[in-house]
Amino acid sequence: MVSDEQDELIERIAGRLRPLPDVDPAATARVLVAVAAERERDRERAARRRPVVRWLGAAVVAATLVTALMLGRDRPISTAAGVARSGQPPVLDTPATGMPAATLARRDESASARQPVQLVFRAPNAKQVSVVGDFTGWDPTRAVMTRDSGSGLWTVTLSLPAGRHVYAFLVDDSVWVRDPRAPAAPDADFGRPGSVLLVGRP
Amino acid sequence: MTPRLRLVSPSARTPDAPADAASVQTRSLLIHAAREGDVRAFATLVDMYYARCLRFAMHMLTSRRDAEEVVQDTFVRVYRALPSYREQDAFEPWLFRILGNRCRTAGARERRHAEVMEYGEVPERAIAARHDTEIAWREEIERALYSLPAEQREAFLMRHVEGMSYEDMCTATGAGLSALKMRVKRACDALRLRLTEVDGV
Repeated sequence: MVSDEQDELIERIAGRLRPLPDVDPAATARVLVAVAAERERDRERAARRRPVVRWLGAAVVAATLVTALMLGRDRPISTAAGVARSGQPPVLDTPATGMPAATLARRDESASARQPVQLVFRAPNAKQVSVVGDFTGWDPTRAVMTRDSGSGLWTVTLSLPAGRHVYAFLVDDSVWVRDPRAPAAPDADFGRPGSVLLVGRP
Repeated sequence: MTPRLRLVSPSARTPDAPADAASVQTRSLLIHAAREGDVRAFATLVDMYYARCLRFAMHMLTSRRDAEEVVQDTFVRVYRALPSYREQDAFEPWLFRILGNRCRTAGARERRHAEVMEYGEVPERAIAARHDTEIAWREEIERALYSLPAEQREAFLMRHVEGMSYEDMCTATGAGLSALKMRVKRACDALRLRLTEVDGV
């Protein structure tokens, strides 16, 4: 009996299934955009975690100090000390979100420091142009540019927080171009060109 | 001034499984660099494996669009899981394990819309009108393939199309050796039975 490994019919079937499909460059671009977005989310998560870690560290130190005070002095205990004795971290005066007040203050500050920024890009033959950057989470659907049919210029106005941003233009869902009018970013994502944008405070 | 455009993906053609020692070494270096956070290395891995992943997903699912979404999701998960990947383990079975899982999830979703998909993808009218026997043969293969249970289809594709060893298939599917051999055998039997009658090429 012929095994499946040498079976001519099976080999012919497999042979028809083996040719690699044509790859749409836009599809691989979408993969890299999705991975860049994931990377950006990681950074945001890490940035969000850092103050919490600091806060937890401070809480442990506070609990230790309170416990040490309790052990060293025989006097009526405060509510915070009681919590510390029961093994729970002390409840600090934080907003209902559980976020440390300092973090919230920093976010409010960045929200109020937003500035309108107009980006312009010339691509007369493009069918669609988007801005992708750390401020859109590298999502090409969040900052789609509008074309001026006469000049071939694409524009979009964004409200961006103060600070340094890295961005690029995504043309027709497949071509990644840095802004020729802005300085090149040394840390462009995935080897794709990027530009640096500095937004000042109002 | 019109800016010079740069293509995101350097080539639509992706090489098949790298076989020679140099390419294996290059691949290992790329994986190592990607694990260390080198994003260019990861982009190169995407370019290297995208077409193979898409081929597998297109044979597991009925729609190219779904297949592209599954491959995209796979690479995002690969990126996320790279820190836990052990470099002494083979990369391809690990990659195909993630890809296979995504295909199974997407396949279950597709089956919920099975009726629409089945008649939507290959209309009966088109079958009657086709003249090219090569195309007819290919379509018949695809129909026979889709008629297989998902785990048999997966095992057949890994063994006969991707050329994986049974050992790698165990890693990729989580199934045992004898179970995989049985799946491949049953898939071959079913394909042989269904396609012998139409094998006029």
